[in-house]
Amino acid sequence: MSRIPRDYLINRLVTLVLTVLIAATLIWIIPRLSPVDPAEIALGRMAAGAGAVENAGEILETLRAQMGIDQPLIVQYFKYIKGVLLFDFGLSTAAFPTPVSALIANALPWTLGLMLISLIITFIIGNLLGALMVWEKTPRLWKVAIPAAMVFTSIPPILSGLLLMWIFAATLGWFPLTGAYGLTVEPGWSWDFATSVLHHGFLPALSIVVVTFGFWALGMRGLMISVQGEDYTTLAKAKGLKPRYILYKYMIRNAILPQITAFALKIGLLIAGQVLVERIFAYNGMGKLLYDAILDQDFPVIQGVSYVIILMTALSVFIVDLIYPFIDPRVRHEVA
Amino acid sequence: MLDDTETVLTLTDLCIEFPTPRGLVQAVKDLNLSIARGRRVGFIGESGSGKTTTALSVMQMLAKPGRVSGGQIDLGGTDVLAQGEEEMRRLRLSRVAYIPQGAMNSLNPIMRIEPQLWDAILAHEPGVSRPDLKARSDAALVSVGLPVHAGRLYPHELSGGMKQRVCIALGIILTPELIIADEPTSALDVVTQRQVMQTLKEIQEKIGSGLILIGHDMGLMAQSVDELAVLKDGELVEHGSVAQIITAPEHPYTRDLISSVPVVGGASFLNPERRAEAPKRDSSEPLLRFEGVSKVYGDVTALRPLSFTLEGEVPQIISIVGQSGSGKSTMGSIMLGFNPPTTGRVLFEGQDLATMSAAASLDFRKNVQAVFQDPYACFNPFYRVNHALKFPFKRFGLSEGEAHTQKAMEEACVAVGLDPDLVLTRYPHQLSGGQRQRLIVARALMLSPKLLIADEPVSMVDASLRATILANIYDLKDKHGISILYITHDLATAYHVSDYVMVLYKGQVVEAGPPKSVIGDPQHPYTQLLIASIPWPDLNRPWGEGGAEDPGVQEAPTIHRGDVAGFDLVKG
Repeated sequence: MSRIPRDYLINRLVTLVLTVLIAATLIWIIPRLSPVDPAEIALGRMAAGAGAVENAGEILETLRAQMGIDQPLIVQYFKYIKGVLLFDFGLSTAAFPTPVSALIANALPWTLGLMLISLIITFIIGNLLGALMVWEKTPRLWKVAIPAAMVFTSIPPILSGLLLMWIFAATLGWFPLTGAYGLTVEPGWSWDFATSVLHHGFLPALSIVVVTFGFWALGMRGLMISVQGEDYTTLAKAKGLKPRYILYKYMIRNAILPQITAFALKIGLLIAGQVLVERIFAYNGMGKLLYDAILDQDFPVIQGVSYVIILMTALSVFIVDLIYPFIDPRVRHEVA
Repeated sequence: MLDDTETVLTLTDLCIEFPTPRGLVQAVKDLNLSIARGRRVGFIGESGSGKTTTALSVMQMLAKPGRVSGGQIDLGGTDVLAQGEEEMRRLRLSRVAYIPQGAMNSLNPIMRIEPQLWDAILAHEPGVSRPDLKARSDAALVSVGLPVHAGRLYPHELSGGMKQRVCIALGIILTPELIIADEPTSALDVVTQRQVMQTLKEIQEKIGSGLILIGHDMGLMAQSVDELAVLKDGELVEHGSVAQIITAPEHPYTRDLISSVPVVGGASFLNPERRAEAPKRDSSEPLLRFEGVSKVYGDVTALRPLSFTLEGEVPQIISIVGQSGSGKSTMGSIMLGFNPPTTGRVLFEGQDLATMSAAASLDFRKNVQAVFQDPYACFNPFYRVNHALKFPFKRFGLSEGEAHTQKAMEEACVAVGLDPDLVLTRYPHQLSGGQRQRLIVARALMLSPKLLIADEPVSMVDASLRATILANIYDLKDKHGISILYITHDLATAYHVSDYVMVLYKGQVVEAGPPKSVIGDPQHPYTQLLIASIPWPDLNRPWGEGGAEDPGVQEAPTIHRGDVAGFDLVKG
């Protein structure tokens, strides 16, 4: 194993920072093209709550000052960039005056926990099933069953979620209906809390696994078919190697490589959460946060969530770039 | 005829069939053959003749849905067809080893060499200790002429010849009774081919196993095996000692195979009578000109500064010959403008490729066509053949309507000896390699280019088809007046088709001149090595020892063997 050359590391780091900065700039520009004035929305919300508002003009001025949108655009932009680097996205307009970073900090662990675990499970199951669809020694029953199971992939997650809820929560009562943990347990590092979280997370995770494993299985199937046709697979058989050894060390080990890149890209996206899954299970993750923010036209929150998504994607791609040469010796750390 | 002391393989009435949607295909029909211990038997025939299929059936490794439909396979007393899967797995490598054709891709790319030798041992002898494994893999690598440290490398860090040696080391590591080598040197250049074949022969003699050598090169067979089995369409048409078959072939097909090998100095397979005028040129500048062109990749010099002028007034074929890594393909891609030179300029009709306008560049693309090595990779598998032919014709504005395009396509097909009704509406995968390569020539011809760059155009097609395709290419010059740069490692064909030959070694022209002098009577030690490495279908002309080039080769100065009008290689 070679060490990572310093030039390569610097090159990748600069790319990472530039990607994030450009994306952050785009996130800032896009809402500013919209004719909506967030101060007016906040005022409207106040008016709706209080019935009527006097001295509306003054309040608007105050709100704009608080939101920082009374200043020249260029000043706003640099303030924003500075804030972004410190994870300060300003105040939510819908849950005014809660800082956006606090909202994200609350939601992120839930999404990360649920989504990352279901992604890893889906990745393993999906790739294994995809490989078994191609392997010549797979029992015939499996070869029939796996494609049949793909039917689930075409079910929208909202439906599979509701179906699982109905069977396992409403009818059988094995799992709780909604929420991320029980109402009676205190959040903290306790055994009760941990089991409650796992218990509550099971159904949402399952509904995600069921509808997304097909993505990995189908991709893996295609990759396995080309690996099966490779000369090294033929020679492995001619060497008299055991079929299972060929499957793992020669076929899956080579076919999985492009899937790992796909995995890195998925990590970034999964921060956005399975919006609908979080919604039906009333799971307080990033998906639900984003969904509510869009409904409320809560720009700072949308910006904050988008930024976190971009940062995660860029980071996971960065990490894959660094580790890829270790899993595929043909790829070297080279500055393009 | 055979010294039948001990038989390692007996095939009795072997029949192999492939069920296809169009009905049953008989790949091998009633084949009877036996191989004695220590004997080398060549299976020769064109692609599709059943030679690989027969060999794979001995290992029960037929590609699905192929199956043995009759007969018996006896491997040193074991009835192969009666073995179960697990028994068969144990037989493979320990008693019958397979050295594959595509050594380039036959090793697991993510594993180092050593573990790939170890897993083979462990699959048959579980529990061998790590030091023993290491000792055995080292011994195997050394026995095929590789350094021990090669075992710590990954396959992509080895050259083609080294990978092929690793495959041989793998094949002999359990000292099998029978080795099946499926065109083990088809991807190697002549010099490496001779070295690798010598290694294979030595080691096979040492362990005393039987050897099946599969191939289509009669010269290689003549120099490598004791007996020859000639296969055609799944049938054994002739079998006997190599001397008997080379000197007195009985079957007409065998005679065809032998006569289709172009040999240096032999009778030409071309008809050099006809001469065509060069196409009318609207430029007084020379067709192609290299001015001090060189190419450097990092620390490696692929091409040393080279200057020449191809006038193009009279169509000519200029051959560039050399081993892999000599820089000949780099030269081709520089000529095509795909690869900018590190120094110097390439001029096409007086215009520098690097600074050409968009319009001139389009014109350049029409006038300079290419035929590449791999006829499988040159077609978009998504479109029918006629689309591939039609597209550039229309793109360059040569079409005067559908009917005209159709006519041009049909004429081009006829010119390369293909029946347009049969090939034009097919998909590329429905055609043979030879047909595809001829279509590539047809596609180039349709555009009436002034220059054709042919980079190893026949190295991947059957020997019997090579002559036909080269004749097609020769016709481009002869009947259509196109100048051709022929890049090849095959000196015998270069001898016949070219007007001028440049021998390239490590990026440098070492010998140049008319082919009759350069190839017929080589003076430079490197050219002599190349010629000596060619396997001849002639038992009185021994192949010799597979020596590497001696160190002084590169220091020897370039030898100029005379000029031809219209081509000027700048000396010095």
